[in-house]
Amino acid sequence: MYDKTVRRRRAVLALLVVLSLILLTAYFGESSDGRLHSVQRGFLTVVSPIQEGANKVLKPVRDLFSWFGDTLHAKSQLAEVRKQNDKLLKEVIADRADEHGYHELLALYHLDQLNLNSYRPVTATAVGKSPNLWYSTIWIDKGTSSGVRKNDPVINEEGLVGKVALAAPDGAVVDLITDSEVGVSARINGTNATGMVQPKVGEPNDLVLQYLPGGTVVNRGEDIVTSGTVEPPDYSLFPPGIPIGQVSSEGEESGFKSVNVHPLADLHNLNVVQVLTYTQGSKAAQLVSLQASLPGFAQSNAGSGEGSPLTSASTSAGG
Amino acid sequence: MTLSGSLLTRIAVLVVVVVFFQIGVVSEVPVFGVAIDLSPLLVAFVGLLCGSTIGAVTGFAVGLLVDLALVQTLGLTSLVFTLVGFWCGRLRELRDPQATLTPLLVGAVASAAATVGYSLVEFLLGVDAPVSLELLRQIVLGVLVNTIVALPMWLVVRRSLEPGLPDDPRRRRRRAYTTGGLSPLSRA
Repeated sequence: MYDKTVRRRRAVLALLVVLSLILLTAYFGESSDGRLHSVQRGFLTVVSPIQEGANKVLKPVRDLFSWFGDTLHAKSQLAEVRKQNDKLLKEVIADRADEHGYHELLALYHLDQLNLNSYRPVTATAVGKSPNLWYSTIWIDKGTSSGVRKNDPVINEEGLVGKVALAAPDGAVVDLITDSEVGVSARINGTNATGMVQPKVGEPNDLVLQYLPGGTVVNRGEDIVTSGTVEPPDYSLFPPGIPIGQVSSEGEESGFKSVNVHPLADLHNLNVVQVLTYTQGSKAAQLVSLQASLPGFAQSNAGSGEGSPLTSASTSAGG
Repeated sequence: MTLSGSLLTRIAVLVVVVVFFQIGVVSEVPVFGVAIDLSPLLVAFVGLLCGSTIGAVTGFAVGLLVDLALVQTLGLTSLVFTLVGFWCGRLRELRDPQATLTPLLVGAVASAAATVGYSLVEFLLGVDAPVSLELLRQIVLGVLVNTIVALPMWLVVRRSLEPGLPDDPRRRRRRAYTTGGLSPLSRA
């Protein structure tokens, strides 16, 4: 009897470990359109509405916890903030004296100036977040039914947040810019020095701008923005000029230069975000350009005087 | 330990509720800059209450649910949590620790094992993140905050599962010993 119990226990453990290893190997080996990925998408489709509902129901609980956390945090920072307040007051007075400079700065930073409306932004709420150090992802409550597609850029009022990793009809998963899977072509604002922003290895909350030309002069506090690309057919996923972060310190230089960047967006407290569903690199935009390149498109379009199915599909997908 | 229908239902409901509460609420409230992770605590405490086989199966199920819900590499969390659940179950079967602080220690060790195990598998899979001080700091802080919530989590898990657990003869013996063999009522 005892032997039977021991054998059964060991068999169950061995079975579960082998099953996990098979899942791991199969998932790791297949493409993003594979069966296991489809199962994940299906699960997301089913669970998204439940998660959205649960998120609304549990919001008061979360707010309560946040209130305690924020209160403790605020108290610990009171003295420092008062000092900063004095300093900022002087800076504001100085800024008012130079209104022209102020407006220039506003134009640089204000996302409306980037004409983001042309990218058909879809406003979404973050309804879930990955708890571990290795995956920097959030769940949002908008999906393909609102025009959200895989790889669409995600921003908030502070700057770039990440890109859509997976989209279901009523929800999507967003890889944050601190996720090891995400890389963004970027430049130092006001210069032509471009490089690639990636998560800082071993420090999950920071970024590093790599592959800058050697000898590039970079100062602490300078702004890093998306560079975007305008040369077809390799359009960047990210529109140009979206703020990413500020230079916190200089990194290594061996051939190329790298600088450490602190993200502008507070990735720990994301609530409302916007998904840009119609960038030049997006599927919708590619469909429209493909359609425009089809022979006879111009004539038939002019003749009928109406949008073709492709155009209307892309347009409606934009939300 | 045999798995009754009542116990199975209780474990299933607890797993679903805790995983969604984790994703929807707990993950969004950082403590000391890190998020509390209730899932390894849940697996460890189910193992500690129900034994190694149920602990391992629960670990696998929780891991699978977490991987599916968070669109992570399928099987990774299942592998780590299966071992955590099994280990905690064996601890109960071999030692049956009864000290008040046992859940605290088990929670801390389970959280540390889950985080380190997870990191090891990630390294083996080739994620580009060598060990740094910041990473170690986050791991240590994560284990620390999980230890803080281990006792309340233990109470929740025990209270949820205890009505479904079969009466443990060892627990009966212990109760008999502490009351002198008889309850005050029967002595009277």
